[in-house]
Amino acid sequence: MSQRMTRIHIFGLVGLLMLLVGSFMGLFLAPQERYMGDVQRIMYVHLPTAWNGMLCYTFAFGFAIASIWQHKPKWDALTVGAIEVGVLLNALLLIQGSIWARPTWGVWWDWDVRLTTSLIMLLLFAGVLALRSFVQDPERRAVWTAIATLVAFVDVPLVYFCVRWWRSLHQVQSTPETVSAGMVWPLRINSIALLLLVIWMVAQRARLELIRRRNEQVDEPAKMAPVGGLENV
Amino acid sequence: MSEGVIIGGWNYVIAAYAITGAGLVGYVWSLIARLRKSHNREED
Repeated sequence: MSQRMTRIHIFGLVGLLMLLVGSFMGLFLAPQERYMGDVQRIMYVHLPTAWNGMLCYTFAFGFAIASIWQHKPKWDALTVGAIEVGVLLNALLLIQGSIWARPTWGVWWDWDVRLTTSLIMLLLFAGVLALRSFVQDPERRAVWTAIATLVAFVDVPLVYFCVRWWRSLHQVQSTPETVSAGMVWPLRINSIALLLLVIWMVAQRARLELIRRRNEQVDEPAKMAPVGGLENV
Repeated sequence: MSEGVIIGGWNYVIAAYAITGAGLVGYVWSLIARLRKSHNREED
């Protein structure tokens, strides 16, 4: 196993351990919120999921620009890796939010601006993955993926700023100064933990994409041979 | 019961953490399975 791969696996392992520690602190050691009581403990997993999900899409945006600029397979592989992990976190984010909304807002779902833009973000990036699966040629697939990623990314700043720009049921962003000190550490630990896990998952998904691409290149001449191969002449 | 204060709610907390854990474990599981499959194809 290469030294780089060992390092990436350490990221995943440390991330997993930190996530267990942070979740334990959030569930059992952090103080109870005055109005929401224990239900607020969902925050220690909801916020890190939101931050890292949006970070994944931001990484994908950067990788997509690099992919258009340099046309290297690694940038395309990293783009699809970041999008797939982002879609996973985006889906988990909406489910967690829905579970939190039920006891606090009284509904599982509301067409509130934050929730709606988050759902659109999920559909847009899932659409990029779907679009990708329709294109056979690896070069064209990389270009289409990169362009679609840049278009889908338009919604990401909207998700972040919409609670400040428009009236929303969802609260605006908190800062360490606006929450109890006992709540800050589980939040920080879980956020860093999930970031380390995200790095591991994106790296593994990118590795998978590069292997698939190599397999496609091996398969392609085999498919072409009976039709245009010189042995038939 | 205090006015405007949510009492209990641990079932929601457990559901949120369990679904998140299951989602992450499921994704990592699928990733490892897909990697193994692709590796095997590459070696063939």
